[in-house]
Amino acid sequence: MPFLFALGQRLLQLIPVLIGISVVSFLLVQLSPGDPIRLLLGDRATAEAVAQLREQYGFDRPLIVQYFSYVSNVLQGDLGRSIRYQLPVESLILDFLPPTLFLIGYVVAISVPTTVVLAIVSARCRDRWPDHLIRAAAILGMTIPVFWLALMMSRLFGVELGWFPVSGYGDGFVGHLHHLFLPAISTSTWLIPLLLRNLRAALINESESDYVTASRSKGLGEGYIFRRHVLVNSVLPTLNLLGVMIAFLIGSSVVVEIIYAVPGLGTLMVSAVLGRDYYVIQGLTLFYAIATVIVTLTIDILSAMIDPRVKL
Amino acid sequence: MMSLPLASTRRQLEPGTFEIIAGTAIILAWVILALAAPLFSGADPNSIDLSGLLQPPSADHFFGTDHLGRDVFTRVLHAARIDVWMGIAGVMPPLLVGATIGLVSGYAGGATDAVMMRLVDITVAFPFFVLVIAIVGILGPGLFNYFVALALVGWVSYARLVRAEVLVLKNKEFVAAAQALGYPPSIIMARHVLPNTLSSLLVYATTDAVLVLLAGASLGFLGLGVQPPTPEWGAMIADGQPYVVDAWWICFFPGLAAMSLGFGFILTSDGLSRVLGR
Amino acid sequence: MHWHGNAAAGIAMALSLLAALPAASAEAPIRIGSPYATSTLDPMRSAAAGNIETFGQLYSRLLRRGADGALEPGLAVSWDISADGTVVTLKLRDANFSDGSPISAADVAFSLLRVRDDAESAYAAPLQQLKEARAEGDKTVVLTLKHPFAPFLGNLEVFNAGIVSKADVEKRGKDAFTKDPVTSGPYMVGEWRPNDRLILKPNPNYWRVGYPKNAGAELIEVPDANTRVSMMLSGELDAARDIPWSRVSEIQAREGLTLPLEPSTVIYMTLLNEMKPPFDDIKVRQAAAHALDAPAIAKAMTLGHAKRATTTLPAVDYHAADYPGIDYDPAKAKALLAESNYKGEELVILASSSGDNDKLSVLIQAQWTAVGIKSKIEKVDRGVWWERIPAGDYHASASWWYNETLDPDLAVRWALCGSCGSKSFYTGYNNKHVDEMTEAAARELDKAKRAELYREIQATTTTEVSQIPLFYAPYANAYSDRIKGLGMNPMLQWSLEETTVAGE
Repeated sequence: MPFLFALGQRLLQLIPVLIGISVVSFLLVQLSPGDPIRLLLGDRATAEAVAQLREQYGFDRPLIVQYFSYVSNVLQGDLGRSIRYQLPVESLILDFLPPTLFLIGYVVAISVPTTVVLAIVSARCRDRWPDHLIRAAAILGMTIPVFWLALMMSRLFGVELGWFPVSGYGDGFVGHLHHLFLPAISTSTWLIPLLLRNLRAALINESESDYVTASRSKGLGEGYIFRRHVLVNSVLPTLNLLGVMIAFLIGSSVVVEIIYAVPGLGTLMVSAVLGRDYYVIQGLTLFYAIATVIVTLTIDILSAMIDPRVKL
Repeated sequence: MMSLPLASTRRQLEPGTFEIIAGTAIILAWVILALAAPLFSGADPNSIDLSGLLQPPSADHFFGTDHLGRDVFTRVLHAARIDVWMGIAGVMPPLLVGATIGLVSGYAGGATDAVMMRLVDITVAFPFFVLVIAIVGILGPGLFNYFVALALVGWVSYARLVRAEVLVLKNKEFVAAAQALGYPPSIIMARHVLPNTLSSLLVYATTDAVLVLLAGASLGFLGLGVQPPTPEWGAMIADGQPYVVDAWWICFFPGLAAMSLGFGFILTSDGLSRVLGR
Repeated sequence: MHWHGNAAAGIAMALSLLAALPAASAEAPIRIGSPYATSTLDPMRSAAAGNIETFGQLYSRLLRRGADGALEPGLAVSWDISADGTVVTLKLRDANFSDGSPISAADVAFSLLRVRDDAESAYAAPLQQLKEARAEGDKTVVLTLKHPFAPFLGNLEVFNAGIVSKADVEKRGKDAFTKDPVTSGPYMVGEWRPNDRLILKPNPNYWRVGYPKNAGAELIEVPDANTRVSMMLSGELDAARDIPWSRVSEIQAREGLTLPLEPSTVIYMTLLNEMKPPFDDIKVRQAAAHALDAPAIAKAMTLGHAKRATTTLPAVDYHAADYPGIDYDPAKAKALLAESNYKGEELVILASSSGDNDKLSVLIQAQWTAVGIKSKIEKVDRGVWWERIPAGDYHASASWWYNETLDPDLAVRWALCGSCGSKSFYTGYNNKHVDEMTEAAARELDKAKRAELYREIQATTTTEVSQIPLFYAPYANAYSDRIKGLGMNPMLQWSLEETTVAGE
């Protein structure tokens, strides 16, 4: 029941979040230089053609009027049409959503178990060779530029060895797994070290804290202490970091999506921004906001389940 | 494995000191290299030589030449002037803002927490690229505005991180004891809660510094970051991207430089977090 | 740990299953990767590169270009031009739209007038001289011109003069082009996934019987150049646009791939804003031009694959190929600067972040610095670039353009004519004599006299430095041996309908 209550509360809080995001992004996009009409019509379009079309789309009206007409459409469930493609924004987003979601799920499935195992090994073998090895690998993974790694992997595993495709999304579950393998590994390469270092530090910190020492002095087994106290208390900050990272990934796995030509939300956003496709940008922004709130809420619920003292 | 003692390193002398010394030495080495770049290589980092494009590393050009015949070694050294500063300046403002918000939010709880966390949601959900084109449009292209963009977005991770730590910490005995003794919240936060979050903050900040060094390159296409032809590692890596197969050295050496500086940051923070952690 | 092992085993199994699948079969569509997006299926709605390539596959024009570049009958079987050159009468062949309905003279008149008049028409320039378009019966179209106009037949072959179905456009309105337009060209739309790919399937009613000679094609958007190269190397693409110059020799050396460097009308140049100081002073413009070593820039930028540009026009008809161009002479540049109004102020070189423009800007900046022209580079995205250039908010900008047909008329109107709407590519270059010659050359039906006029236009604008010409770049498109007969002509049109897949 408290969960349901918290959920209801969050959904209520979602309203100001959505309003805040939509106002700010609407203003920023519209105030930025760059004209969707000019980019749409192409290089040689005359100034008159551009002006005429701007008027037809209503871009010459005051911003406040444009914003309210946009909002009133949204409230009627109409996110508008892409200026470039003349297609409903929601259908565009839905087309590009699956590859991104699949990729994120894939990345999480690879990163989380790897992180937990490596962090525990590293923390418990602190300052011995497994720890050194893991930490060195983490630094390497973090400092390698993603695009470089992605290029090298597509060259080696795609072009030379031919094990994996270097582009696209594939068909069917197995096809997706196959096509998104290199993108998922490329993303995990920087995500795992990020989470790993955080978790390792927390594990070590906790294992040295007073109450652990106290438990130890009471003669409780190391394994028991580790599972009951150290792990539980360490995992929360890392979980929160993971939440932020997932939220970022939904909109910002751009480099990897572009290098592996994955038709995901990141590529859609970049092309919408470069093409100043106002309604697509707006629609994606609203979508990110909702997704972020869901991710954050999930993380908070998980936190409360792991450690009941954390209130939602 | 599970039965190994957890605190096997306690007997070591002054843990963390070695890391701090080694890490600081790397950072200092880069600072010195940056300041003394003209001594190590007399050439102008932007001097173009169209008769010597894409030369592999040699005695004349230690790191080879790039697509415009510029000496990569000289450029890597000169770039350090911007990149060392970037690693620090790009991380500090978001860290300070984010930590403060996370601390207050986590400790106060209730409505304050709800408002601040919704602010976090707005920021996380806000498309970074929209922010970038708006900043370039309103403030103009350039390096300083890159920091502005980072600060506007980067604080979120710190805030979530610190808040999560605080939620755990504030239920601990020593905090309860301090509350019972009647200390005001600000004192409790500053003396008892904050120091305990520092180690994970530092660990994340150094990671973040590395990401900041490399992210500049991926935003160059929207006009944010240093403007050509100024040497900067991220921009050099981006410039070398089309040549990554034929002329690997254009990307490789600035990448290596960024990695070594990142390594210095990470070692230092590991050491510091150990010293602070006790 | 167990989970991990299982997952790894699962993936390995999945991979071995996939590896057993046959490689691209002969029935598989021809896959073409390009950085240029298809953003609309309506031929009048855009003049951007990716759309130009797509329109040619979907819509037939009255005339078409043969393999040798000459104009051939398209939907029109024959045409007749009146003695005074102002009335063009075209006879249509018996041809049908993709939905089976006949292509009539009314459809032709509708399509052409739509390009000329519709508020959403992106590029009405090619049909500006069309006074009236009239259907005479089902199969005869009478086009009346405002005055004799030499490039007219060629302009009927320009990408946006494709014929669309009047009945369908009137019935569905804008929706006619959002998903499955009625087409008149070799292909129709199988599926359009905007921002990803356009899947083309053969139009069974296409008028060229026996074409297309393949089962269909996919036009795939691949923005990253290295990714296109990887996809070519791994066999995930059959053709790719714009291979980076640094990867050309690698592709050429690879077995199973070719890269022929096809001729284009692309010209790289530098815009100088003549609407404000210092480039309003012809001496500063000439100094800026003499300061640039165009042959060396061409070599450095394309690793020797492009020819230096000698005139302000790209390689279109009547190009004055023997014109010497502006020579590299730093001493002369310095002398000219000393006589000029330029006093050492820092100029803004606006660089669009697409393509190689920022690299080119760095080269120009360095060579200008050597003669004493100070500048800073501002790198912005295309949206900002296209806002600042028409507004005159720049001093100089390195960029490139192409002409969508071989006749120079449209190119001159776009880039060199001060009174033709685009203010000489927004440089503000304005020479009344050039404008007069532009009109005279367009009305001149005698080829030798036209050539003379265009030669003078090129000589004048090059000497007065309306833009600094740098180099002519060929297309660097890569092709796989799996397909035969694919190429791109200078008008950005693929010979996709002629292409066969090996083994078929």
